[in-house]
Amino acid sequence: MSNAKTLQKQTLEKTSQPAKKKRSPWVTVWMSLKKNKSAMFGLIIILILIFCALTADFIAPYGFDDQDLMARFQTPNSKHWFGTDNFGRDILSRVIYGSRISLQVGFIAVGISMFTGGALGAIAGYYGGKMDNVIMRFMDILLAIPGILLAISIVAALGPGLQNVMIAVGIGSIPSYARIVRASVLSIRDQEFIEAAKAVGANDFRIITKHIIPNSMAPIIVQATLGVAGAILSAAGLSFIGLGIQPPTPEWGAMLSTGRQFLRDHWHIATFPGLAIMITIFALNLLGDGLRDALDPRLKS
Amino acid sequence: MKINKKLLTLVSLMLVLVLVAVGCGKTTDAPSTGDTGASTKDTVIVAQNSDAKSLDLHATNDNASSRVSKQIYETLVSQNEKMEIKEGLATSWVAIDDLTYEFKLKEGVKFHNGEELTANDVKFTLTRALESSHVAHIVDAIDAEGIEVVDNYTVRIATKEPFAPILAHLAHSAAGILNEKAVTEAGEDYGQKPVGTGPFMLDKWNTGDSIELARFADYHGTAPKIEKIVFRNIAEGTSRTIGLETGDLDIIYDVAPTDVSRIEGDDNLQLLRDDAISTTYVSFNLNKAPFNDVRVRQAINYAVNMDLIVEAVYQGVGKPAKGPLPASVWGSNQDLQPYGHDVEKAKELMKEAGLENGFKTTIWTNDNQQRMDIAEILQNQLKDIGIEVEVKVMEWGAYLDGTAAGEHDMFILGWGTVTGDPNYGLYPLFHTSAHGAAGNRSFFSNPRVDELLDKGKVTIDPSEREKYYLEAQQIIRDEAPWIFTWDREELSGLRSNVKGFVHHPAGHHALWTVYFE
Repeated sequence: MSNAKTLQKQTLEKTSQPAKKKRSPWVTVWMSLKKNKSAMFGLIIILILIFCALTADFIAPYGFDDQDLMARFQTPNSKHWFGTDNFGRDILSRVIYGSRISLQVGFIAVGISMFTGGALGAIAGYYGGKMDNVIMRFMDILLAIPGILLAISIVAALGPGLQNVMIAVGIGSIPSYARIVRASVLSIRDQEFIEAAKAVGANDFRIITKHIIPNSMAPIIVQATLGVAGAILSAAGLSFIGLGIQPPTPEWGAMLSTGRQFLRDHWHIATFPGLAIMITIFALNLLGDGLRDALDPRLKS
Repeated sequence: MKINKKLLTLVSLMLVLVLVAVGCGKTTDAPSTGDTGASTKDTVIVAQNSDAKSLDLHATNDNASSRVSKQIYETLVSQNEKMEIKEGLATSWVAIDDLTYEFKLKEGVKFHNGEELTANDVKFTLTRALESSHVAHIVDAIDAEGIEVVDNYTVRIATKEPFAPILAHLAHSAAGILNEKAVTEAGEDYGQKPVGTGPFMLDKWNTGDSIELARFADYHGTAPKIEKIVFRNIAEGTSRTIGLETGDLDIIYDVAPTDVSRIEGDDNLQLLRDDAISTTYVSFNLNKAPFNDVRVRQAINYAVNMDLIVEAVYQGVGKPAKGPLPASVWGSNQDLQPYGHDVEKAKELMKEAGLENGFKTTIWTNDNQQRMDIAEILQNQLKDIGIEVEVKVMEWGAYLDGTAAGEHDMFILGWGTVTGDPNYGLYPLFHTSAHGAAGNRSFFSNPRVDELLDKGKVTIDPSEREKYYLEAQQIIRDEAPWIFTWDREELSGLRSNVKGFVHHPAGHHALWTVYFE
C-alpha cells in the first residue's frame, strides 16, 4: 500500500514539475546528466564515433579495402598511423570505417529488440491474463537460451552477413525489453490518468502509445544504451568466430580475429581494433550509467 | 661494529633470497625444456590440425585420419620418401599378363587381434574398398571378379583394363589391409576399433582431443624404439607452435607460415621442410555463364597477380604453382607459360567476351585461413576488371557437397597427388567422366584432354605416358579452368631431441622410426 502511495506521489511530482517550472522532463534529465562528468565523457566519445561513422569517406586517409601487398605488416608510422595489416591495408582507415558497422549493428539490433520487445511487453502488461501468460512464457523460453548461443544458431541458420547479424543479436535481447516494459506498464495501468483517458473514450492503442509508453520510457532508455554496448560486443564476437560480417568489410571483431594469428609478431594488427571496441563499450556504459542516474526519480533533489 | 652486523645480516638475507629465487627458477625451468627425461622418454606427442574422422580406412579419406591410420595399417606394397615402390606386406610380385599381378605375402604376419594375415584378408579388404564411396576411386581400376586367392600366401589382382599406376595405388594409405574377422566382429563400430598389422595399435581415443597408440608387441618388422604415440588435435597453428616451444609437444604438423622463422630461430627446435605433392588452385564452374567462356577465364588469370598473392599469404612457404601438377610429381609440366599479371590484356579479353562492364559472382572457400586470405585478395584484385566478388566461407561438408553438385561460381581447393602418379593428379580433376564428387568440380570437359588422359591411364611405357600428360597439361593451361595457385610444402616442427623423423611426400608420415636422443 505504502509503496503504491509513494509511487503515486512520485508520478504526481513528475507530472506537476514541468507545469510549475515550465520545463519539459527531458530538459531536467539533460540538466542532471550534464552535471555527471563521466557520462558527458562517454557521450562525447560516442558523438565522435558517430561523427567518424558519418564522415568516414572524408576523414579516413585510405579506403577500407585498399590493399598494398608490398606494404604488409608495417608498424605505426607517419603514413599509416595505426600501421598496416597482413594485406597492406591501412588499419586506421579500417577502424574508422569499422565504426560505421559497429554503430549500425548496435543501434539497429537494439532497435529491433526494443520495438518488438517493447510492443510485446506493453501488450502483455496492459491486457494481462492469458495474453500475458502466453507472451511472457515465450519470453522465458528465449531467456533460457544464452544470448550468444541463440545468436550463433540464428546466424548459422540464416547465413552470415550484416543484416542477419543484426537480426540475430536483436532477437536475443527481446525478452529483457519485454520484461522491463511489462513491469512499468503494470505499475502505470491502474493509475488515475489512465482511467481518465479511458473515461474520455480513448481506445487501447491510443492509451498504450500516448499514455503508457511515454511514462515507461526511462528504464527502456537506460537498457537500450547499455544494450547497444552489448550488441556491438555480440556482433564483434560473432565476427571473431567467422559468423559475422564477411570480408572485406572492416568489422572490429573480424579485424581482431585476423590479428590474432599475427599477435606474436605484429602486435598492432589486433591492438587497435581491440582498443576501438573497448573504448566504445566503455563510453556506452558510462553514458548508460549516467542516464540511469539522471532518469531515476528517487535521485532527484 | 653495530652497523657492520646489520649490514651482514642484510647481505646474508639477500643472498638467501637470491638463492631461493634461483633455485625456484631452475625447478620451474626443468620440465619446460623437456630434455631431462630424454633417456627414458618413450612417448612421442604429435599435434595436427584436426581429429581423425574414423580409423576405418574405407569410411574416410581425410588427411588427419590417414596420418593416424598410417601407423596402424600396412599396404601390400609401399612407397618410400622418393615415391619408389618398395615391399610391404607382399615380399614379391610379378606381372602375369597386361592385367594381372601376382603377390606373395610375407608369412607369419600377425594382426593386432592375434589373427594371421592371409590372402583372404587381401581379397576381403579390396572388395570392401571397392564398395566404399570414400576410397573406391583409389582402387576402382581393380576388377572385383579378378581378385583371386591362389593359396594362403598368394593372391592375384587383376585390373579391368591395363592400368599403369596400379602398384602406386595399392601403396596408397587407404589401401591398407584389414582383418576380415575384426571388421565383421566390430560391425558399425569398426571405425573406433581398428585392427591392422602395423607397428602401432589403437589404445585410447578421446574424441575431439587426442588419439593414443601403443606399440604392437607382435609386430613382424623391426620394433619401434618408442612405446607410445599420442596424436593431439590442435586446430590453431600458433597454439601448436607454442606447444612445441614449451615442450608439451614433440612434433607438430603443418607449421603456420607465420611461425616458420620463429621455429628456425629457436635452438631447441628444428624445422623440417620438403616439397609436398599437393597443390592449391582457384577454379571456376564451367557449367555456368560467364565462366563457360574461355576468354573470361583467361581474363581472370591475367587480372590476378598470383605470385604476389602467394608471397603475401604463404610468406615464403611453398612455391607459386606453374601447372596443375606440383613440380615434385613425375610428369609435371613445369615449362608452361605463366599468364602473368596484365590488367590491360585482361580488360581486352573481357571486352571481347562482351563483359567490359564486369559482372557479379561469388567465390567459395572452406574455413582455411590461407584460402580465405587468397579469396579476400582476389576479391580486391578482380575489382580492377569490374568483377565484383562475394566471398563465402563454407563449412567443409557443405562446401564439398555444394561444389560436387555444381552450385558454386568460383572456388578454392587443394588436391594431393598421393600416389605420385600424374594419372591421380589429372584424371579425377579434368576428365569428363569425373565431373562432380569424383574430383572435377570445375566441370571441365575437353575431348582431347579426355583422350590423352585415357591413353595415359592404359599405356605402360613411361616415356609415352609422359608425352600424353605434358600435352594434356598444356591444353589445360590454355583452356584455363584453373588459376594455378600454390604448390604446398610439407612443414613440420620438431623438438631438437627428436630423431629419425622423415617426411613422406604424400603427407602421411611414418612415426615408427622416431626416437629421442
